[in-house]
Amino acid sequence: MPTLKGRTERRAARRAGETGKRVEYLAFGLAGETYAVQIAHVAEILRPPPFTLVPRASETVLGVISVRGKLVTVIDLRRRFRLPPAAIDRKSRILLADAGTGEQIGLLVDDVQQVWRLASEEIEPANVLGGEQAPHIAGIGRPTASDGAMLILLELRPVLESP
Amino acid sequence: MAEGGGRGDAGDKARDEFLSEAQELVDGLGRDLLTLDEGLKAGRVDPELINDVFRGVHTLKGLSGLFGATRMAGLSHELEDVLDDLRLGRIDVTPTVLDLLFQAVSLYARLLTAQSSDAPEPEREVEQLLLAVGQLSQRRGGGGGGVVAQYELDPGLLGVLTEYEEHRLRANIQQGLALFRIRARFSLATIDSSLDELKAQARPLGEIVTYLPTGSGANVDTIELEILMASRASLSALQAAIVGPDISIEDVARRIGPSARPAHAAPVAGAASAGASFAGPGMVAPSATPRHASGPARPSQEPTAGAKTPSIAVTPNPPAAASLRGPAPNRELSLRSASQTVRVDIRKLDRLMTVVGELAIVKTAIAKLTDRVRRRGAEPRELSIELGRLNRTFERHLAQMQSGILEVRMVPLGQAFDKLARIVRQISREHDKDVNLVVTGADTELDKLIVEELSDPLMHMIRNAIDHGIEARDERLSVGKPPIGTIALNAFQKGNHVVIEVEDDGRGMDHGALVAAAVRRGIVSPEEAQELTESEMLALVFMPGFTTKEVATDLSGRGVGLDVAKTNISKLGGVVDITSDVGIGTKMTITLPITLAIIHVLLVEIGAHLFAVPLASVEEAIVLDEGKVRTVESRDVLTVRGTSLPICRLARLFGLPASHRDGHGPFVVIARVGARRLGFVVDELVGQQDIVIKPLGKSLKGVRGFAGATELGDQRIALVIDVAALIEEVLLPGEVRFLAAAEDSGRRNGTLEASRRAGRT
Repeated sequence: MPTLKGRTERRAARRAGETGKRVEYLAFGLAGETYAVQIAHVAEILRPPPFTLVPRASETVLGVISVRGKLVTVIDLRRRFRLPPAAIDRKSRILLADAGTGEQIGLLVDDVQQVWRLASEEIEPANVLGGEQAPHIAGIGRPTASDGAMLILLELRPVLESP
Repeated sequence: MAEGGGRGDAGDKARDEFLSEAQELVDGLGRDLLTLDEGLKAGRVDPELINDVFRGVHTLKGLSGLFGATRMAGLSHELEDVLDDLRLGRIDVTPTVLDLLFQAVSLYARLLTAQSSDAPEPEREVEQLLLAVGQLSQRRGGGGGGVVAQYELDPGLLGVLTEYEEHRLRANIQQGLALFRIRARFSLATIDSSLDELKAQARPLGEIVTYLPTGSGANVDTIELEILMASRASLSALQAAIVGPDISIEDVARRIGPSARPAHAAPVAGAASAGASFAGPGMVAPSATPRHASGPARPSQEPTAGAKTPSIAVTPNPPAAASLRGPAPNRELSLRSASQTVRVDIRKLDRLMTVVGELAIVKTAIAKLTDRVRRRGAEPRELSIELGRLNRTFERHLAQMQSGILEVRMVPLGQAFDKLARIVRQISREHDKDVNLVVTGADTELDKLIVEELSDPLMHMIRNAIDHGIEARDERLSVGKPPIGTIALNAFQKGNHVVIEVEDDGRGMDHGALVAAAVRRGIVSPEEAQELTESEMLALVFMPGFTTKEVATDLSGRGVGLDVAKTNISKLGGVVDITSDVGIGTKMTITLPITLAIIHVLLVEIGAHLFAVPLASVEEAIVLDEGKVRTVESRDVLTVRGTSLPICRLARLFGLPASHRDGHGPFVVIARVGARRLGFVVDELVGQQDIVIKPLGKSLKGVRGFAGATELGDQRIALVIDVAALIEEVLLPGEVRFLAAAEDSGRRNGTLEASRRAGRT
């Protein structure tokens, strides 16, 4: 029975994974795809407040917002990844990200989905997509606990350092 | 990072503390050395100062050892030896020795920079310095040992003197001070405070060399000390000054005998002999320091400099004769105390500022609520009165808090000037030019952040003045100038700004030569050069890559420096103006805002977006009459009260759609920074407000024209316009073109994109 076998294997993998190191990822949606970033790099999830436009800034910069008295630059991840634009709606969220660049930056995403705990064997290197990948793609997450979910794992530093 | 697990936040914090503490120590060393240098020029050496330097280096050694800064620890170790020799009189304080110590201070600074920024350590320089220091310690000689023998001192006492005490005893005798023996009985319970009291009484009159328990006349509760004191005062004066129930003072008798009185140790009081006799025979050794041959000329120069300037940062000591009265002259006049009292982490202050910002937001909200309640009619009248009162109280407290915090952030400019005095000494000696730095207004206060950021630009300007401005000695004499050049560093407050002038009495700048050099370096084309005004010609020195020198020297001429200085000053919201007369000198004038934190702004609307213009640089706002706009060389110019005013349409510059309403036309906000004026065309004037300016994040640092942003109380944010930067960008297009090429080129498309983007926000 292939399903039984699959389930046993998955359970075994999970058990093995629990003893090994697991990293928590926060999954979010962007133009129909699911992306994920290490949750350690996300300080906060916000509903988008009104933005203030910054003339002459790069086109990926949506504007600045105030988070408890601190100004935060917000990047539209759709624009950053050259995806088709979309209006901000009820489900839109801003991830307050800090990947050690010394600055918190807001990332506008379509919606926030869930947290995945991934073992290293659940992560495929970026080159499975073939050839050269953008430096911000860290790999592909395939959580065994889900049925066929595919997460595009993001390396935040390149995203934050050149908005 | 695998093995770096232990160096988390705590490690970083400790390292930050190490760096800041070490930096403070190094700054202190520099100050002490300068005072020492000034004293030496006037012919006296303050032993306490040498002790301070020794202690500073010793502490640095401990600190750097603790934090694994091995090169720094090694350097400190060697220096400690030399300083020990110096304070014990085994080697003499000479300009050459001071040179080495000054070098050490700048090496410390570089080592610290290397620690904090991964820059390479100045390995070779440290090696060289260590070598020179090593040679120094080998040349040590003893200083006048025999003089002590002329006094009737108990051999038992002499036997227990430390080497330092022995040295001080010798030095005091050589300076012609007489010795006194004080016997004092103290109660064991209060000996600490009583002894301090006695020391305080004795201090103005001389130096306490040592004190020892006598072992006699003591009972269980008391102890008798024999105190050996050197003083210039008479016995009766001492007896009058040092009083107490159980104190007796007597002369230490002098032995009469031919062998006991070396001729050179004649007790002559006076400024002229004091310097030479302190350090013992052979101290004034011109052969060892040929370059300092000009030294003796300096003391005579100093009184004039002192008379001109009410506050001289670099020569805090009174004239030589005054300091002979006590071992510790008025060193407290130096800027040290000021810098030590403002040891507040700037990040803490920033957090405080954030709190104040929040308070300001609440204040605005209350004001609005009051307004609304009042308008609804008489019913909630009481409430409105109450709220109004609340608002007034709140406003008052807020104002107090703001000014209090601003005060904490303010530090005297002297903190930056101190470092400059060191630079002047170093550069002028290296360059064999005599330069006198005259400082006025060192007590002018500026925001700490500005003061910190200012030292480098000022250093570049002063280097430039020494290298290009001040002529060589012979040249100066031949044109009838005093052989010693003067660089004046003047600071004063002018309204909401602080003005700093760097003025030299050198050869001035030749407009023609500047233009020729700029054309040669391809900074301007020959055609452009034809069109330059005089002030534009002078401004060429601030262009990247500009230099008139064909060969770069160590000091300047590499074409970097002044442009960096200018850029840094612009970042602080300041401007630099330059005037120069050939043969007379050059003056650079920096105009800076006093603080970056709280500012009074004019809120304006441009293309339905709110922006804030700092009122400090706004002259007035007028209604724009489009009919009066003329176009001169593709620049819009307005005539306001008979003078022409270039105008800049901000909506166009920012790529926003203009949105002014019917009824009243757009407005012109006339801004001035330094000597330059520009009218900003805006759609609407909204009002004035006090705001807390916050920096935009690092990710937006490439965006020019904004000094930061502020919250307006109703969740809205307004960008604060950087008036100085925009004036420069608009009025000096050539310069910006040059800068833009050096920076990220993609940014220049920003204006177009901004309009495309406006739809989504």
